[in-house]
Amino acid sequence: MVNHASHYLNRFKASLKIDQKIRDGAAAELYAHLEDKTRELEEKGLSREEASKAAIRSLGSPELIAEQMYETHAQGSWKEAIFSALPHLLVALLFASYYWRNITCVSLTLALTVAMAIYGWQRGKPIWLFPWLGYYLMPVVVTAILLLSLPEGWGWIAALIYIPMVLFVFIHIVRQTARRDWLYASLMLAPMLVTFTWLSSLGRGNQLLASDWAVRLQTNAVWIVVSFVALAAATVAFIRLKPRKYKIIALLIPPLVILFAVITASRGNIAYWSWLLLLFSLSAFAIPLWMQAKAYQ
Amino acid sequence: MNYGRELLKGNTDSLLLCLISHQATYGYQIVKELEKRSNGYFQFKEGTLYPALHRLERDDLITGKWQVLPNGQQRRYYYITERGKQILARRLATWQDFSTAVKAVIQPETT
Repeated sequence: MVNHASHYLNRFKASLKIDQKIRDGAAAELYAHLEDKTRELEEKGLSREEASKAAIRSLGSPELIAEQMYETHAQGSWKEAIFSALPHLLVALLFASYYWRNITCVSLTLALTVAMAIYGWQRGKPIWLFPWLGYYLMPVVVTAILLLSLPEGWGWIAALIYIPMVLFVFIHIVRQTARRDWLYASLMLAPMLVTFTWLSSLGRGNQLLASDWAVRLQTNAVWIVVSFVALAAATVAFIRLKPRKYKIIALLIPPLVILFAVITASRGNIAYWSWLLLLFSLSAFAIPLWMQAKAYQ
Repeated sequence: MNYGRELLKGNTDSLLLCLISHQATYGYQIVKELEKRSNGYFQFKEGTLYPALHRLERDDLITGKWQVLPNGQQRRYYYITERGKQILARRLATWQDFSTAVKAVIQPETT
């Protein structure tokens, strides 16, 4: 009984990507059911082995139960959906109002992001945390890029020390998030992909860091606002939709459309290191989705 | 799709609420009770009951509590909530009206 039941419950738990406490509770309920059913069948004259197998058959596919259970627990409330979309809307607002160049406004937004990320992380990583966490990680990555622009030699020395540290923190957070659910890792990294897409559109070589970079970015302000509003809408759809495949579609389409639209508009006139950055953020964003799609094949 | 199965699917929540409203109960007992009361008419893959129970709990219609039996076994008992009672009363009234109307259409001589 124990072996069959354990195997069955392991399959159930492996297919169910929700809060661990709820998942373990559901598995314990199924185990109690199997115990009751097996005992009853044994009383009817079946051997322990036969009774155990029959009990498992009567419960049905563990993957199907997990899928239905996921649909019950994976749908966030409207409150959570709006809370998740809020950082994207704040960034859109900063660009729409031209306040993204105001150091006070940017600092306040950054402080709010850090506070929300730490608060959410300590409160058991609720679903609304992940977009905030994405913005929280962004300055860490951007600092690594900016280090490369330090005077000759120093940039590389600083980067060689800082970049491995950043990668360690980055991979640690992505792993922790993906352990909860692969899709949450993509949800977290979506703003990074969109932001780097727009940064990469600024031009070749050293143009990005030229003195007029802010002016050049502002000329695309309307489209940047549209991008982040689209990301906010995708996030709301992701939180509210029940079936997992629709969640994947909702999350995948807007950032990829923005990426290809910007690259096409700039006719691929992008610096080589921007390509690297884009490739890095695109992989980080798409790999969890791909892993998820593969797991459901 | 099987019409009977569709009917059951559409009324699962009401059937579960009804059973839980009579007495606090747990998953396996619900399966047995449904089978017994319907003379074996309601038969389904037993595992699909649990997502339905969790859905009702999420919507605050029932609440689940773990209890340890004297033999050490743990069971999760479900209780109906006040909100659950109200929703059930409304659904039963709707079902009665619907049932009376259907009967009046298909068996006009008996009304």
